[in-house]
Parts: sequence; structure tokens; C-alpha cells
Amino acid sequence: MSHLLEVKNLCKYFPIKSGFLKRTVRTVKAVDDVTFYVKKGETFGLVGESGCGKSTTGRAILRLIEPTSGEVWFDGNNIAELPKSQLRKARRHMQMVFQDPYASLNPQMSVAELIEEPLKVHQMYASAKERKEKVLEIAETVGLNRSQIDRYPHEFSGGQRQRIGIARALSLQPKLIIADEPVSALDVSIQSQVINLMEDLQEEFGLTYIFIAHDLSVVKHISDRVGVMYLGRMVEMGTKHEIYDEGAHPYTQALLSAVPIPNPKLRRERIVLKGDVPNPANPPTGCAFHPRCPKAFERCKQERPQLTHLGGEHYVACHLYDNESIGHRGKG
Amino acid sequence: MADTLLEVKGLKTQFISDKSRIPAVDGVDFNIHRGETLALVGESGCGKSITSLSIMRLIPENGKIVEGKIVFEGEDLTKKSEEEMYHIRGNDIAMIFQEPMTSLNPVLSIGEQLTEGIILHQKLTKQQARSRAIEMLKLVGIPRAEEIMDEYPHQLSGGMRQRIMIAMAMSSNPKLLIADEPTTALDVTIQAQILELMKELKEKFDTSILLITHDLGVVAEMADRVVVMYAGQVVEEADVHTLFEKPAHPYTEGLMKSVPTLEKEQKRLYSIRGIVPSPDEFPKGCRFAPRCDQAMEECLHAQPDLYEIDAGHVVRCFLHKTKEREAKA
Ligand SMILES: Nc1ncnc2c1ncn2[C@@H]1O[C@H](COP(=O)(O)OP(=O)(O)OP(=O)(O)O)[C@@H](O)[C@H]1O
Ligand SMILES: Nc1ncnc2c1ncn2[C@@H]1O[C@H](COP(=O)(O)OP(=O)(O)OP(=O)(O)O)[C@@H](O)[C@H]1O
Ligand code: SF4
Ligand SMILES: [Mg+2]
Ligand SMILES: [Mg+2]
Repeated sequence: MSHLLEVKNLCKYFPIKSGFLKRTVRTVKAVDDVTFYVKKGETFGLVGESGCGKSTTGRAILRLIEPTSGEVWFDGNNIAELPKSQLRKARRHMQMVFQDPYASLNPQMSVAELIEEPLKVHQMYASAKERKEKVLEIAETVGLNRSQIDRYPHEFSGGQRQRIGIARALSLQPKLIIADEPVSALDVSIQSQVINLMEDLQEEFGLTYIFIAHDLSVVKHISDRVGVMYLGRMVEMGTKHEIYDEGAHPYTQALLSAVPIPNPKLRRERIVLKGDVPNPANPPTGCAFHPRCPKAFERCKQERPQLTHLGGEHYVACHLYDNESIGHRGKG
Repeated sequence: MADTLLEVKGLKTQFISDKSRIPAVDGVDFNIHRGETLALVGESGCGKSITSLSIMRLIPENGKIVEGKIVFEGEDLTKKSEEEMYHIRGNDIAMIFQEPMTSLNPVLSIGEQLTEGIILHQKLTKQQARSRAIEMLKLVGIPRAEEIMDEYPHQLSGGMRQRIMIAMAMSSNPKLLIADEPTTALDVTIQAQILELMKELKEKFDTSILLITHDLGVVAEMADRVVVMYAGQVVEEADVHTLFEKPAHPYTEGLMKSVPTLEKEQKRLYSIRGIVPSPDEFPKGCRFAPRCDQAMEECLHAQPDLYEIDAGHVVRCFLHKTKEREAKA
């Protein structure tokens, strides 16, 4: 399988301005040297706690916000350096689905108009008639019927609105869809409907997904490979099996053990992390996880760990696994 | 028989306007025993919060308890005066809310908010209240408790705010703690901290907890018994093990199958078709019938009662009507 997307050393820093002169007093390193790839036809899950930089990563890939530095290779182009004039063409093949389907849909437009809009913008069909037929077809694909498409977003439930968002993203027949928490706002019974729909569409159209979520169970279900982020950094990456069964990073292990399992027989000992998620404007030195890490040692405070290959498709950024530290591990 | 602390009986709470009457809570029954954690689960809009706000007598202005009893330690709370309720809320029943920011006052320091309640309800001096507050902050695992007393809500993280809400709620040593989605807004690692804390406090003070959530994982972890609500009604009640092993209502069963879990791999998720009906358009038969795979002719016309199919296990579904007869025979 070839890589559809390669993200290399991606950074997005937000300046924090303060005072009368609006001087930059600090920067938030929302995404800090993130590297990963996504294979054609797969689902890459991106997990991590609130504020760790998942959405910013997704938006920087599509250049909905300008990356500070780094490369984003898609279809032979470095999106990060593409002139604005060529960006629109490239974006046709990369679409985004947002968490809050309501906020991301123009309330003045009917469902049909909402689905048609991207087709118009990208001048996809020669005649209006052809375009309207396509709209109907797409609406049906996501389970909205003819009688519904002349209605407005507020007349729909959360799950139905999310279908509209997906229909819009699909209309341009993109290769990659970045779905940012597409089911987080939905009730469980509706959540499973939308997840099943996304899986069906993937199969039907050979789509590739980046699926951003904080729910580790949902990500396990839908993903082929998973990346775990902490405070702007990719701390571990691997196949679903490598992450969920052989998670190596102490943060991944703590995160997985914190998920309550819906089975009262499995009430278990968990790794309860001390302390809060740190402030990204003032991240800890060395490994950003070290103040909360039950296994941290001296080196973790000083030196930032790099992604190390553990075999297979498994990568981890933790001093417990890089060569120079093996001695420490023996002692600890 | 277990010692009952709270008994909710036939509770109906409605939102009434000139044009309509919204039956948000429509005949709800359950008990909470002393020292027990009862989970109230169900999807958005099914009436969980309005049920708990009815117990606290804090329902929004356009809402009204139109029927039923809420018996707390032998006394009906629906009959209490506003003043009596104020006293009960500060002493015997406490509540923590989903979004701590909305219930903490942004312009008062943490110390002011904590001591205010303690002074009012426990008749302590300012100085005594302050040391009691600091003690509570330490109890809920807040580092630098003395300093935090002088800080303001916006200076704290979500997890810390939620701890402060818990400290406030627990400072009066309540007999009943109502926790409405106490961890929904928090990250999983912080959620784990808060859940551990709630378990610890419960052990220590033998508090009864009414835990409202839509997360079946949290239910499995925390609850002794579970009440499942759908469309303003209780559709199933059982002890936590029975509920997860032998869910009887098609809705409960559907919910359990719909959630992906870390434990089991599913090729495809089960999904309940359709959507939750809104309270102004409840179907006339079983409220779940339009979404139910097992619905029969009868389900479309009549409302099922709660049938007891085993000791302590009740189900609102016609499929189980005959089982009740068998259980009784
Ligand atoms: N426009 C912005 N200006 C300044 N800081 C920002 C901006 N957008 C995001 N940030 C900060 O960057 C960090 C990463 O944010 P991001 O939204 O990517 O996190 P996330 O992982 O998607 O979190 P969540 O799960 O809450 O959606 C956060 O600390 C956030 O406050
Ligand atoms: N002030 C109000 N006026 C009219 N209807 C209301 C009001 N507050 C709640 N409702 C309705 O009452 C029903 C029950 O609401 P409730 O808040 O109890 O749901 P819930 O189960 O707590 O849901 P969630 O999981 O979303 O918190 C809903 O259909 C809601 O729309
Ligand atoms: S009563 Fe009928 S419709 Fe309702 S849940 Fe039972 S089988 Fe389904
Ligand atoms: Mg986000
Ligand atoms: Mg609620």
C-alpha cells in the first residue's frame, strides 16, 4: 500500500499577544514537530486529550490554517508550500467533516443547496440539471431522502445534520476525508449509525480517513492505524493492535487504562495519573509527559525523546525505548 | 429490606405554556438505599436532569411537578416550603453539575464560595469555616489548598473546578449526592481521578449517590443499581450485574450493543434505527415501538407497564408481560 499523505515535522505555533501594543508574549506550540503517514484506503485514528493539537493538525494539513513549518505531501505536492492559486484544486481531494454539524452548516441554506455548493464552487458538472441529480444521489447515499432535502439544518437532529456534513464532504469525491470528532456530539444510538455509514462509504468509494476523536473505543473500532498525541507531539503510532494491545508509551498505557469498560465484572486497577494536563503555552522541559509519568527518570526532564522505531509499524517517543537509555531501564 | 433513603413515586414533571404541555418526566419511580450508588442512564433529552432537578426542587420556572411524590427520609419533598428546601439542599442533599463553570460564581474566589455555604448551613464562624474549607480541598486532592482559596474559577483547570464542586457538595456531609454527568466534560485521565475520588468519598462517608450519565462504562464502574430511562419514563431497572448480563428491554439491549468497547472487536456496530422522539411527539403505544425490531401489533396501540421479571428487575416491555405472570405464579 502506498502512502496517500505524508506529514513531516509539521509545526503550528500560535502567538499569544498581550497588552496595549499587542506584543507577542508567548507562543502556544499547538502542533510541535509532528510526523506521520496515512496509507491509501485506510483509517488513521488520531487520539489524545483536549488541547493536545488534534484539530490543529487536521486544519494545518488542509491549510485551513497556515502551518508554521513542515511538509504535507499529498498526491505528489507539498500542500504546505503550494501557492494559494493551486490550493483550491488540491483541496478538492481533501475534505473535512466537523464536530459540531450545526455550527458548520449555513442555516440559510437548504440541504440541497448545502450539498450543491461545493459542486458549484469547483465547477464540477456542466449543467445545473446534472448537478442537481448528483445532489440527490449523494443525499441518498448518506440516507437522506428526497422529501428532506428542501428542508433547513435546524429541522434535523444531530445525527441527520452530521449526515449532511458528510454528504457535503463526499460531494466532490475526495480521496481523503479528515473527520474531526464527527460523532462526539451524538448519542450512542446515533453515533453507531454514523460510524456504520462512514465505514460503508469508505468501502464504496475507497476513501481514506483521518478520524480525530478523544473516545478511544470508537477510534479502536474504526481505525487501521492510530496516532497518540500529547501536548502537540505525536508520542506513539502504530497499527490498532500495536497501540491497543502493545501500547508502549506510558501515556498510551495510562490513557487506555483510564477508559471505563462497560462490563461491571471488569472493574480493574487503573493507572491513575497525577496532576493535570499541562499548559501548552508553557510545556514541561524534555519529555512533555514527564511530570505526570509514573516511569520518568532524570533524562526525561532534560531531553526531548524522538520517535523511535520498535518494529512493524510501531513508533514511540519515549526514553524508555531509545538505545542510550536501555541501561537506565535495566536499573529501573 | 434495605434501608431506603429516597423514594421517587409516579413523578411527573411538565413544561407548560399556553400552547403546549411537555411531559419531560412522565411517571418515574425508583428508590435509593443508604450507601448505594444508583445510576440513571439514557440518551440526551430522556429526562435525567429534569428528574434530578425535581428532587432538588430546582426545575426551571416554566416547569412544574404535576404529580407524584419524592419521599426523602420519610418526608415528601414536593410538599416542602421553599425555605425548608433551602435548608435540605444545604445539608442533606447536594448536587454537582455537568459544567462546573456555570455553577461556580466567576467573581468570587474559591474560598468565598466554599465558606459561604459552610457559614450559612453549618453555623460556623468565619475562621472555622475557612479551615473546614481547606480541609475539604485537601480531601478532594487539590494541591496548594491554602493558595487556591484566594484564586478564581477561571484560573483553574476543568478537573480542578470539578473537584471544587465536589468539595462544596461534600462539605455539608450530605446523605444524598446527586451528580449530573460529573465527568462528561473532562478528559479520560482526569475523569479517572474524579471517579476514584467519588468512590473514596462514598466509602468514607457512606453517602448515597444518584449518578446521572449516558456513559455505560462509567455506569459499569460505579453503580450498584441502574435505572434506564427512555422518553421520560423508566424502561428498565436492575442491579448492575443483571443489567449488563441480561438486559431485558430491547432499548437497553440495543444501547449495549451499539457502543464500541476496548474489550470486544465487532465487525460492524449494532445500531438502533431512527431517533429519540421529542416529548411533544411521543408515540401513543410503547414509546420505543417505532425503533424496536421486536415490536408487535400490541406495542403500537397500548403502553406497556413496568413488569417485574425477577426480584428487583423490572422492564417496561410487552415481551416480558408473560414472564411476570410466571415469576408471580
Ligand atoms: N487560534 C488559536 N489561537 C491560539 N491558540 C490556539 C488556537 N487554536 C488552538 N489553540 C491552542 O492550541 C492547542 C491545541 O488545540 P486543538 O484545538 O488543536 O486541540 P484538540 O486536540 O483538537 O483539542 P479538543 O479535543 O479539545 O478539540 C490548545 O492549547 C489550544 O488552546
Ligand atoms: N426549560 C425547559 N423548557 C421546556 N422543555 C424543557 C426545558 N428543560 C428541559 N426541557 C425538555 O425536557 C426534556 C428532558 O430534558 P433533560 O434535561 O432532563 O434531559 P437529559 O436526559 O438530562 O438530557 P442530556 O443527556 O442531554 O442532559 C427534553 O426533551 C428537554 O427538551
Ligand atoms: S413493548 Fe414492544 S415495541 Fe416496546 S420495546 Fe417491547 S417489544 Fe419493543
Ligand atoms: Mg479538537
Ligand atoms: Mg442532562
